[in-house]
Amino acid sequence: MSGAAASPAIELRGLRKTYRKGRQTVTAVDGLDLRVERGEVFGLLGPNGAGKTTTVEICEGITAPDGGQVQILGRQWRTGVDTEIRSAIGVCLQETKFHDKQTVRETLELFAALFARGRSVDEVLGLVSLQEKAGARQKDLSGGQRQRLAVATALLGAPELLFLDEPTTGLDPQSRRQLWEVVREFQRGGGTVLLTTHYMEEAHQLCDRVAVVDQGKVIALGSPDELIRSLGAAHFVECDVDDFAGKLGEQELRALPGVQACTFAPTRAELTVASVHTTVPALLELLDARAVALRDLATRHATLEDVFVSLTGRHLREGA
Amino acid sequence: MNPRAVWAVAKAQFREFWRTPEAVFWTYGFPLVMTVVLGFAFGPKPPDPVPIAVVVADPAAADSDPLVAVLRHDARLSVEVLDAAAADRALVRGRVGLLVHGSVAEPVVRADPTRPEAQLAGLVVARALRDARDGPGVAIAQEVEDRPGSRYIDFLVPGLIGLNLLGAGMWGFGFNLVQMRTQNLLRRLSVTPLTRGEFLLGYLMGRFVLVIPEAIVIALFGVLLWGVPFRGSWLAFLLVVAVGGFAFAGLGCLLASRARTTEGVAGLMNLCQLPMWMLGGVFFANENLRGPMRWAAEALPLTHINRALRDVMLEPGSVLDIAVPLAGLGLFAALCFGLGLRLFRWQ
Ligand SMILES: Nc1ncnc2c1ncn2[C@@H]1O[C@H](COP(=O)(O)OP(=O)(O)OP(=O)(O)O)[C@@H](O)[C@H]1O
Ligand SMILES: [Mg+2]
Repeated sequence: MSGAAASPAIELRGLRKTYRKGRQTVTAVDGLDLRVERGEVFGLLGPNGAGKTTTVEICEGITAPDGGQVQILGRQWRTGVDTEIRSAIGVCLQETKFHDKQTVRETLELFAALFARGRSVDEVLGLVSLQEKAGARQKDLSGGQRQRLAVATALLGAPELLFLDEPTTGLDPQSRRQLWEVVREFQRGGGTVLLTTHYMEEAHQLCDRVAVVDQGKVIALGSPDELIRSLGAAHFVECDVDDFAGKLGEQELRALPGVQACTFAPTRAELTVASVHTTVPALLELLDARAVALRDLATRHATLEDVFVSLTGRHLREGA
Repeated sequence: MNPRAVWAVAKAQFREFWRTPEAVFWTYGFPLVMTVVLGFAFGPKPPDPVPIAVVVADPAAADSDPLVAVLRHDARLSVEVLDAAAADRALVRGRVGLLVHGSVAEPVVRADPTRPEAQLAGLVVARALRDARDGPGVAIAQEVEDRPGSRYIDFLVPGLIGLNLLGAGMWGFGFNLVQMRTQNLLRRLSVTPLTRGEFLLGYLMGRFVLVIPEAIVIALFGVLLWGVPFRGSWLAFLLVVAVGGFAFAGLGCLLASRARTTEGVAGLMNLCQLPMWMLGGVFFANENLRGPMRWAAEALPLTHINRALRDVMLEPGSVLDIAVPLAGLGLFAALCFGLGLRLFRWQ
């Protein structure tokens, strides 16, 4: 047991999973390595189809990998300790429909009975603020309330390790913040969390460390701040103009003080800069000198989204 | 085995079922309604007159036709007078079993002899015509079998109980399991300490509690409403119902063990149910079938359940009399559950 206690919460090495549909094969997870320490809130961040759910479900023992090593709380699936592992984890799947005709309380009572020990139904109802819906049937709940119920079922067994697959998708901002609080509270109690999300802000606010996943591989790993710092620039300056045509070229923008990168279009430019206050005055001066009419100027902090874009050239969420 | 978990699953299943009025109705209410309707349709009453048609050139002038007069005179017949085209249509649609044309002296009947109604109609018409020609002296005496226990309704009620066990096992047990799979609920349950065995046991308990009361209610309907005899032991009856119910629940579980869509499992269930509806001895006796049909009938669990039910209802059968079919059904149930448990997939 001491060996198991010293081991990381999750350790994945060379994880691989391929789905075959007829002649087509989809490599969902492609040699993925990951180590989640005990007590951390760890986020998997990636676009649709990146392999997040597949990875999480391999960790949960739902899906068998085609290759690679999986250690959950120091144990391996399918070695006769499955029930032990299951007693120690809490799971919120990306999508679950509970029994339609059961009330929130009845659903929680069912799951509570499956674990030898754990929290009380009332305690968990309080954690996800569903007390006033305790008597409502599943089919009468809103999407967000269902999501909170799904998280509540994951907390019932008082797990050491919590898996949350897109727990806040479809929640309003208030419910989302509330759920973040549930996660933090769980962490304060010594728990470990592996969650997936599409929301940069969520990853930034909630996760101690983040793995950016794309096409079944980890392409960046670190704390949110580290990842953003790794861009080498913390800010973006976006300017919309009438037309650069003939008046001003991309090279001249790149040559402005503090500019590290530039994306350039006929009416728009986005500059990656180390500090806003050195670049912006020089930019305005240059535009003025060339008689380019400025329509809009905005600055923002770099986000994990920018990390993803700089790594892959694509956005995390389509249309984002 | 964690009894608390099994019990929780059972409770949830029962609640879910009980709170779905459609499911309760189609599983239990509908068979009851069907029993009542069939009971009144085939219950004890004087035989209906046999529908036939007389074919004439001009139906308006039929009253003067001696053939029409003779046949109408016979109370065992219900006679329609039709022209040739209308008569053919009535025969095709099965509204009448037989057509008569010609004269009293030289009658001609037309019918499909493989249809049971045609044979009956032919006999009745022949007698009516002979009676008319030879006078009252040669009337043929008839005996009517109408003692309880030998009537069609007595045959039907045990068959309907068997049929209901089949439906409950398939739709109540198998179908719903696949639905839970498609909703990811099984997958969610699979990542808890709940084992497959615990789950299936609880599931069975929760879904099964109503099967036995339902069979008792149908039997009581038969006994109280139509005087269906109950000559054997109630204990033996309950045993047949329980073991037969388990056999079909096992079959439902086996069919649902891997199916990923409700359409898929519905197809498999229909595939299993159809031969049992036709050959299982529900609506007509399968003892007179010949050759491969007979073998097929003997291979169906429903045949043995119905036979055992008739043994304990229509004859003074005791537990001992039905021990062999019960053991066979028990084995079948165990095989189905065993295989179903092995094949069972959470997802
Ligand atoms: N059961 C399956 N059969 C076939 N292909 C699958 C299956 N499950 C996942 N895939 C494929 O594997 C890839 C990874 O899917 P996965 O669900 O892990 O992505 P994800 O990162 O969770 O995406 P999302 O953000 O949309 O939830 C996708 O291309 C998907 O189509
Ligand atoms: Mg996913």
